[in-house]
Amino acid sequence: MTLIKWSDEGGQVRLGLPSDLDLPMAQPLLEGLRAGFGASDTVIADAGAVERVSTACIQALLAASRHAAEHNRTFAILQPSEVLTEACEDLGLAPWLKQWSRA
Amino acid sequence: MEDLSRFKQTYFDESAELLAVAESGLLRLTPGEVDSDEVNAIFRAVHSIKGGGGAFGFTELVAFAHEFETVMDGVRNNSIPVTTELVDTLIRANDVLGQMLAYAREEAAAPPGTTDDTVAALRRHLAGGPAEVTASEPTPTVQPAAYPDDEDDEAGIFGDAMAAIDAARTEAETGIGAPVPEGKLRWTITFRPKPDLLLSGNEPTFMLRALRRLGDATIDCDLRSLPPLPALEAELLYLSWTVTLVADPDVDQEKINDVFEFVADECDIRISVEAPPPAVVAPPAIQASTDPVPVSATPPVPAATPKPPDVARAEPAKPRPNAGNSGGEHAGLTSHTIRVDLDKIDRLVNMVGEMVITQAMIAEHVRDLPPGEFQELLEGLEQLAQHTRELRESVMSIRAQPVSSVFSRMPRLVRECAAATGKEVQLVTSGETTEVDKTVVENLVDPLTHMIRNSIDHGLEGPEERERIGKPRAGTVHLSAQHRSGRIVIEITDDGRGINRPKVLSKAIEKGLVQPGASLSDEEIDNLIFLPGFSTADQVSNLSGRGVGMDVVRRNISSLGGRIGVYSAPGEGSRFVLSLPLTLAVLDGMVISVGEERFVLPLTNIVESLRPKAADLHGLVGKCDVMMARGEYVRLVYLHQLFGIPKAVTDPTRALVVLVETEDGARLGLVVDEVLGQQQVVIKSLEANFRRLDGVAAATILGDGRVALILDVAGLREMSRHYESGYSRPPGPAPAALPAPALEPV
Repeated sequence: MTLIKWSDEGGQVRLGLPSDLDLPMAQPLLEGLRAGFGASDTVIADAGAVERVSTACIQALLAASRHAAEHNRTFAILQPSEVLTEACEDLGLAPWLKQWSRA
Repeated sequence: MEDLSRFKQTYFDESAELLAVAESGLLRLTPGEVDSDEVNAIFRAVHSIKGGGGAFGFTELVAFAHEFETVMDGVRNNSIPVTTELVDTLIRANDVLGQMLAYAREEAAAPPGTTDDTVAALRRHLAGGPAEVTASEPTPTVQPAAYPDDEDDEAGIFGDAMAAIDAARTEAETGIGAPVPEGKLRWTITFRPKPDLLLSGNEPTFMLRALRRLGDATIDCDLRSLPPLPALEAELLYLSWTVTLVADPDVDQEKINDVFEFVADECDIRISVEAPPPAVVAPPAIQASTDPVPVSATPPVPAATPKPPDVARAEPAKPRPNAGNSGGEHAGLTSHTIRVDLDKIDRLVNMVGEMVITQAMIAEHVRDLPPGEFQELLEGLEQLAQHTRELRESVMSIRAQPVSSVFSRMPRLVRECAAATGKEVQLVTSGETTEVDKTVVENLVDPLTHMIRNSIDHGLEGPEERERIGKPRAGTVHLSAQHRSGRIVIEITDDGRGINRPKVLSKAIEKGLVQPGASLSDEEIDNLIFLPGFSTADQVSNLSGRGVGMDVVRRNISSLGGRIGVYSAPGEGSRFVLSLPLTLAVLDGMVISVGEERFVLPLTNIVESLRPKAADLHGLVGKCDVMMARGEYVRLVYLHQLFGIPKAVTDPTRALVVLVETEDGARLGLVVDEVLGQQQVVIKSLEANFRRLDGVAAATILGDGRVALILDVAGLREMSRHYESGYSRPPGPAPAALPAPALEPV
C-alpha cells in the first residue's frame, strides 16, 4: 500500500495522496490531515495521482475543508485527478471540489 | 461467536453460488456483444461477495474484490471494452476470488502475492479504460438539488464553499421548481445510508453513478451530519444524498430499487415521483413544489402524459424478511426463499424414511385382518400411505437441485480444453433444469469433467482434419440431462471420430488386460476404456493419457447407484450415457423371495413377471439358459445360484421369471420363487454400513423388520456373465439346447 507523502514546504504541509485512496486509506489520510493542521496553518493535499477513491477519503477531505473554514486556516486540493473529480460529481460534491481545488 | 460462525457459513455458501453465477456470466461475455443484464449480474455477484467479506473483516478478500468490481464497473459503463483478454482476466479474477474465499473460510491468510498478477492484469485493463471514458462521455453538469428543510442550520460551516453550494441551489438551477419535462418523469430519491455502510464494502459512488445513468440526475449531498475533523471516524459514513432524476417513462421504481438492492438493509431510501402537469392546467410555477411529491399528490394525469408507476405511490412496501428497520420502499425485494442447513433437511429425510418403514410395518400387520372388518381403519391406512408418498416426494424435492449447477461449469472446461488442444469446440447443453438429488449433483462434477475432457482430447478431430473429411471445423459436444424411467439420464455426445476399436483392443492386449486372440464384440471393446489403467493416448498430456479417468468415472457413478454406458460409431462420434437415481433415500420397489431370502427390485427396472412354459426355455451350451419372451430370447439369471441361497425353487416352470430391463435396454429374466408385492423402501447404504456387494445396490428394512437387499439389475447382468465360466445347469428339467452361435443373448 502506498503511503501518504508528507512534506513541509515553506511552512505549508503538503500531503501527496497515493493512487489508491480506498477505504483502508481513510484512517491514514484522516490522521495526515489532522497532523497537517496540527503542524501548519496551511495544508495542501496533492490529488494528482489519485486513481481510486472511496467516499470515506472524500469525506475526510470534506472535514478538512470544513475545519479550515471554521478555524481560518488554508486548505486546498491540488490538481484533483479525473477519478477524484468524477467521484465528487457522483457524490454531488462538484461545487465543493471546485471551491477547494487548485490547478 | 457461534452465531457469527453461522452467518459466516451462510456467507461462504452464498459466495460459492455467486462465484458460479459470475463465472457462467463471464463465460457468456462475448466481445462486441455486451449484455448489460449479464454484466450487471456479474457485478452484483462480485459486489455481494465483497460486501459480505467487509462485514466479516476479510480485508484482503475485500481489497481484491474491489479491484475486480472496479473493472466490472468499467465494463458496465462501457469504459472498458470487452475483449477476449479481458474475459480471460476476469475469469482468472473470479478464480482468485474463489481462492481468497477458501483462505477466508480456513481462517488462513492468503500467501503473499496470491492476487498480485491478477490485480496487475485488472489494473492494466482499467488503465486502458479511462481514456475512452473521458473521450466518449461528456462531463455531466452536476447541479446540486435542493436540500431538505432546515438547511439554514449549517449555513456558514463551509465558508465560501457552502456559499458556492448555496448559490448553486437556486430553484432555477436545480430544476426542482420547474415543471417536469413532457414525456418524462421526475423521481426524487433520498438515500440515507447507515454510518457503517462503508464497512460492509459498499460504496455510495457506485449507486449514485448508477442512478445518474438512468437519466438526467442532480445530486445533492447532505453534509449536516459530518462531524468536525477531530471527531471524524474515518470509516463511518456521515453523508446522505437526495437525487432528483428526470428520466424516460421506462425507468420505473424497480430499476431504481435495483440500484440499492445490496444496501437495502443498510440505508433508508425514500422514493417519490412526479409526472408532467396536464397541458391545460395552471402555469407550472403554481404547481411546483420543492418537496418530494408523492404521485398521489399530483393532479390528474392526462392520457398522453407518462403515468407514474403505481409502485411509486407513497405506500409502504411489503416488509422484506430480515430487513431490519430500513423502513424504505423496496418493492420487489421480497425474498421467496430461505436458506436451511443441510443437516436439518437430512434429518427430515431420515424421519420420513423411518415413517415410510413404519407405514409399511402397519400395512403388513393389517394385511392379516379379517376382510370386511375394520373398513375405516383400512381406508385411513390407505390415506396414510398416500400422504406418506406425497410427503416423501415433497421432502425429496427439497434436496433436489437442477443439474445446471454442474452444467454451468462445463463451458469453461470446454474453453480451456479447446485452448489446450488447439481444437475448435462448441458445447451444446440441454435439460439443465432437470432436477436430481443434491448429493448426486455434487458428485457429477468430476465424472462429467473427465468425460468431456476425453471427448475433446480423444474424440474430436482437429479443425483441419475435420475440414478434410467434410465436417464443420468446430466439433460439437452435446451435454444433456433428462428424466427417464424414474432416473436421471445424462448423455455426453460428440461428433468426433468415435472410439478407435482396433487401437483400443491392441492397447488392451499390450497392457495384458485382454488375452491375445480373444474375440470381443464392439460393445465389449468399447467398454475396455473403463478398465483401470487403460489409456490409448500416445502422449501424456495435461488433459488425458495418464491412464486414470474412465475407470474412476465408472467407480464414481456406481458409488452413486448409477451406471455408465458407451456407444460409438467410427467416424461419427461417441455417446456416453450415465443413468443415476433421482434420490438416494427412498425408492419404489417390488419385494421378491428366493428361498427364505427377500430381495427388492427397483420398480423402474421391472417389465413384467411370468411363469414360462418348458417350451419357452432353451439352453446355450456351456453358457446359460435363455427364455423366449415376446419374440426375443432373454438370458435367465438364477438368483439362488448367484447368491448361494438354499431351498429355492430352481425350475423356472414352477418358479416365476421377472423380466427386468437395464437403462441401456438390455433385458434379463430373473428366476425367483415369488413376487410378494410392491412397496416403498428406504435405502440404507451398504457401503456406509458394511461393504459393496456385486449385484446389490443397497439394503432396506422391510415392514416385518427384516433386512432385504435391493438388487442392482445391471450388476446382476455383469455377475451372470462372469458366472458363465463356471456355468452349470441348476437342477430341474433341462431345456432344449440351442447351438451356442445361434444367438448372442444380451
